[in-house]
Amino acid sequence: MKATDTGESIAETVSGLIRQAVGDVADDTDLRMIEGVDSVKVLRVIAAVERTYDIELEDEEVFALKTIDDVVRSVRAAVEAQGL
Amino acid sequence: MTAEPSGGQIAQTEPIEPTATIELPWRVLPDYRCFGCSPANGKGLRLTFQPDGDGIACALRFDRDYESHPGVVHGGVLSTVCDEIMGNLLVLRVGIPVFTTTLRVRFITSASIGVDYRCVATTTADSGTPGPYQARAEVFDEAGGLVVSAVGQYHPIAVEENRDRIDMTDEQAILIERELAKLRADH
Repeated sequence: MKATDTGESIAETVSGLIRQAVGDVADDTDLRMIEGVDSVKVLRVIAAVERTYDIELEDEEVFALKTIDDVVRSVRAAVEAQGL
Repeated sequence: MTAEPSGGQIAQTEPIEPTATIELPWRVLPDYRCFGCSPANGKGLRLTFQPDGDGIACALRFDRDYESHPGVVHGGVLSTVCDEIMGNLLVLRVGIPVFTTTLRVRFITSASIGVDYRCVATTTADSGTPGPYQARAEVFDEAGGLVVSAVGQYHPIAVEENRDRIDMTDEQAILIERELAKLRADH
């Protein structure tokens, strides 16, 4: 899965990976505020997303990510940058 | 390799599904002392690798000589494991020596002393890919939970350049090049 993915499929894939890990939440839910979701779970799902797209997000970015929307935006930017 | 924890050495457990240990090209060197993967270096990690899907894997268990905080495996040791497995995977895949240029390690959670872990490395590089190469390594706990995620960049080194940078005799260089040539022919 690489830079050829459309924005829509990135959103679908990323939200799917996150919901698989934390449950069915809204795109703008703060993931760390969900009961049973701690920083380890969030880091693991971010790692799964990075692996899926073969990207590396910066630590500052990763720790600032709060919602599915945030992760989708970061992944889109990283995938676009990769395609340059 | 399998061993019980003793004398400050790392004990490496049986792979979850026993498979043949991968033969590394360095084994042909009579004085092969790599801190990460030489079975002859009693102070080293003595990692052994098995095929794992598209990549390779190694089993890990650390004793207290590798401790950071009490009961916690030192992060530098885990970083070394990730670097070692990625570097060896690339050499096996491309048949050319590589040097690490960048290593990014993200510690998801701590690893415990005396507990079994598994490190898996993957790469999309192959012998037809020009360098630099990238690989990923991940350390998992027994439940499959991710503990460490690492990405490394590796620079291929031509045989002649390798000779200038590494302390090898002509005979050793010939032995290694012969092994690397076999790897390149296999791909």
